[in-house]
Amino acid sequence: MKMKTILLILMLGAISEIHAGDEKFKQVMISNIDLVYKASTIEEYQSAVNAFDRIAGAEKNRWEPLYYSAFGNVMMALKATEAGRKDEYLDLALAAVTKAIALAPLESELPAMEGFIHMIRVTVDPGTRGPEFSMKANMAYGKALQLNPENPRALALQAQMEFGTANFFRSSTASACQMNESALTKFAGSNAENPLAPAWGESMALGLRVQCEQTAKK
Amino acid sequence: MKKILLPVLIFLVISGYAQTRINGTVRDAKGEGLPGVNVLIRDSYDGTSTSIDGSFSFSTDEKDARILVATSVGYKPFERPVTLEGQELRIDIVLREEVNQLDAVVISAGSYTAGEERRRTVLKPLDIATTAGATADIAGALNTLPGTQKVGETGRLFVRGGDGNEARTFVDGMLVLSPYGPSAPNTPSRGRFLPFMFKGTSFSTGGYSAEYGQALSSALVLNSKDKAELNQTDIGILSVGADVAHTQVWGKGSASGKIQYTNLRPYMDFIRQRVDWINPPAALEGTAAFRQEIGNGKLKAFASLSETDFSLYNHSILDPALKQSLDLANRYRYGNLSYKTELAGGWGLRGGLSYSYNRNDIRQGNSPANETEKGTHAKVVVDRTLFSQFDVHAGMEVIDRDYNASRYNDTINQVQYKGFRETIAGSFAESEIQVNNRLVTRLGARYEYNSLLHQSSLDPRASIAFRPGRRGQFSFAYGIFRQSAPNAYLSLHHELLQERAEHFILNYQIITDQQTFRVEAYLKQYKGLVKFMNSDPYQIGSAGTGYAQGFELFWRDNKTLKNVDYWISYSYLDTRRDYLNYPVAAVPTFASAHNLSAVYKHFITALKTQVGLTYSYASPRTYYNPNLSRDQFLTDKTPSYQDLSVNISYLPRNWLILYVSCTNVLSRNNIFGYEYSALPDGNGQYPARAVRQPADHFLFLGVFITMSKNKSVNQLPNL
Repeated sequence: MKMKTILLILMLGAISEIHAGDEKFKQVMISNIDLVYKASTIEEYQSAVNAFDRIAGAEKNRWEPLYYSAFGNVMMALKATEAGRKDEYLDLALAAVTKAIALAPLESELPAMEGFIHMIRVTVDPGTRGPEFSMKANMAYGKALQLNPENPRALALQAQMEFGTANFFRSSTASACQMNESALTKFAGSNAENPLAPAWGESMALGLRVQCEQTAKK
Repeated sequence: MKKILLPVLIFLVISGYAQTRINGTVRDAKGEGLPGVNVLIRDSYDGTSTSIDGSFSFSTDEKDARILVATSVGYKPFERPVTLEGQELRIDIVLREEVNQLDAVVISAGSYTAGEERRRTVLKPLDIATTAGATADIAGALNTLPGTQKVGETGRLFVRGGDGNEARTFVDGMLVLSPYGPSAPNTPSRGRFLPFMFKGTSFSTGGYSAEYGQALSSALVLNSKDKAELNQTDIGILSVGADVAHTQVWGKGSASGKIQYTNLRPYMDFIRQRVDWINPPAALEGTAAFRQEIGNGKLKAFASLSETDFSLYNHSILDPALKQSLDLANRYRYGNLSYKTELAGGWGLRGGLSYSYNRNDIRQGNSPANETEKGTHAKVVVDRTLFSQFDVHAGMEVIDRDYNASRYNDTINQVQYKGFRETIAGSFAESEIQVNNRLVTRLGARYEYNSLLHQSSLDPRASIAFRPGRRGQFSFAYGIFRQSAPNAYLSLHHELLQERAEHFILNYQIITDQQTFRVEAYLKQYKGLVKFMNSDPYQIGSAGTGYAQGFELFWRDNKTLKNVDYWISYSYLDTRRDYLNYPVAAVPTFASAHNLSAVYKHFITALKTQVGLTYSYASPRTYYNPNLSRDQFLTDKTPSYQDLSVNISYLPRNWLILYVSCTNVLSRNNIFGYEYSALPDGNGQYPARAVRQPADHFLFLGVFITMSKNKSVNQLPNL
């Protein structure tokens, strides 16, 4: 064999190695994304979050494992009962998202997730945190929609936020509900060709639609 | 070539199939299994979460020397090198608790922290604004906390038997001189700083850090807000004036400014006052704040200017028809520059410079007088955290005060001057050792050199906090504190010693998410207080002494009743002083044995309205009656003080707030003391006049409008 052939074999080997690595990343991510979507207890979420943290440690240039780690932590914050605990989960979620934004500054899903974290922060202590964190949440949603006006999650989360605010001030929820409808249209239109892309949020928007219909009846 | 490739292929195949299995358990220091711990081989996919009993088991394709890691929230990460060569490994792991801010015991003796809302705090910044009766005055809100005594005719903070000037105010660590605005005799003054400027407030009723000097009884530490996030314009229309504020934000900085004009004339024409005003107070105030992030440092600048004028008639007690005018013009400037940054190697650096200027021009009848105090404070502090549990901070500062007063004495037709220039050079060092989540100690000392006395001093400070169970914690604090004698005396007698107080404080508190219980006992001993020798006001020295002791209770609950937040504080105080012209040790006129406050806030969602009620009680205070003999000195007592205040905030739109507050809705005739005529009447008796509230009620109306692109912003945090 000539030197060229050896080199070719080695190069092919290297490429297939990269490919195999990529495939492994994809497979492990898909199975854990499935787990995090199906999780319902803190333990299940923790186990998925741990897996994403491991993947993030091995794949230092990928934003997706950090994103799903943040998502799992936000879910745990929602499940936790004690305010201090909720904050711990939200801190971890924010740390993961901040890291991810540094890796993929143009990815609209990340500021959407950041806004989600701030929004949950408000619910821990609305009186004290409302003004600061609702503002931060709105700014993050704005950023996400600026990066991708078609992002259904950013739109749906912002609709949640506006609905809550409008409800609080007894002002019209119409614009929030309209925003939610447009989010639902975008959910329907979004084709999940990338199995790693976030796909959650439609049921949340459907839940808001029900609330909107009830408000409209009154 | 085949010869070369074959071993390579064999190697690849072998490496692909030689898995290593790792089993073990993760426990905490007490031996309890920890579930949900992430156990993994660093930089690999391989790992697992521990099960409910803390056990784990996983296989890895990784080979040779690797690092096994175990992580869990609240614990320090565990790391161990392992060699993976296909043979099963058993690894039992013990995770050590991480000392973190959220769970760790904190020193709570003597201090109430509002703000830093991530930590469990007794008060939140918003509370200062929404407490009824406080009318958005910081001191007013803090007066509902234990440790304070209500002295309604001053509006100031009086802490644990301490005089009003024993409580010092610091903004971003820098001293503020004259933190209260001017007011007519026996009418309450307001703090110069509005609560909306601050993100956090730490109100210490004793035993505070060595960083704060020249404060005998209390340190009120206000931390200003960081860089603003949003452009906005706020407009306030008040029953006593109007204000407008604007905030502008850019990349790494923000600037905001506020101008406020208040004029009490229309209000005082409408609601009858007991003060015979010629010109009720009118004030023009401006504040400006600038924030800039420089690298990983934060620069803050703050300036406040105010001009206040008023004039009134003082009536003679002996013959109320006789009156004399009193004219006051106050000019106040305060500027503060601070910088905070992180240096290499874990060092933190902060420093600041503040300048206070306060001038009063007073004309009583035809006798002019004036008083000027200028103060400069410069400070540099470095801190460092070593091994995450051992924290040191040390600093140096200079406090320079220049005080001058002059008065035209019409009996001798001469202008009399007095004054002093005092420079205090201080340095301090303190270490905080977080032994574990249950035990923390803080030890420090403060050194000062005083230029007037040519004397130096070293004062120790120590505190410790211990949490035996899951929630409740004990703390103890000790310290020696000093402060220069009041300006009125020091300006005549530069040799007056520093007044000194020794504090002992024992505290127990339980804070859960929405409930707080605190009980605190203290003893404070005073030495070196100003004392007239042989009852002669021209012969004064530093031989005065005193003590204050007592206990305090605090309960706050926003859990039991939905949308309701309330707190109750009670303070018991036993104090006596032998100082100034006192012939014997007596209870000073500003002290009341029992103080009670109950604050109730109810948010009515359906009405978008918050209703607040504050009830305050202070037991009878002593007053000086010159008609009594010497051994009956300060034995007369006023009736008790009681007040019920109400406030209502209505939020019809998220950019609009309507606010109404009224004090003393039960119209109680509160008497703070009695003033006596300097001259006796025909029967040789000195006639008296009660010191009362300037009006039965203080009624305040305000409309606050916020203009911003962001719909969810309003001035609620500013109120």
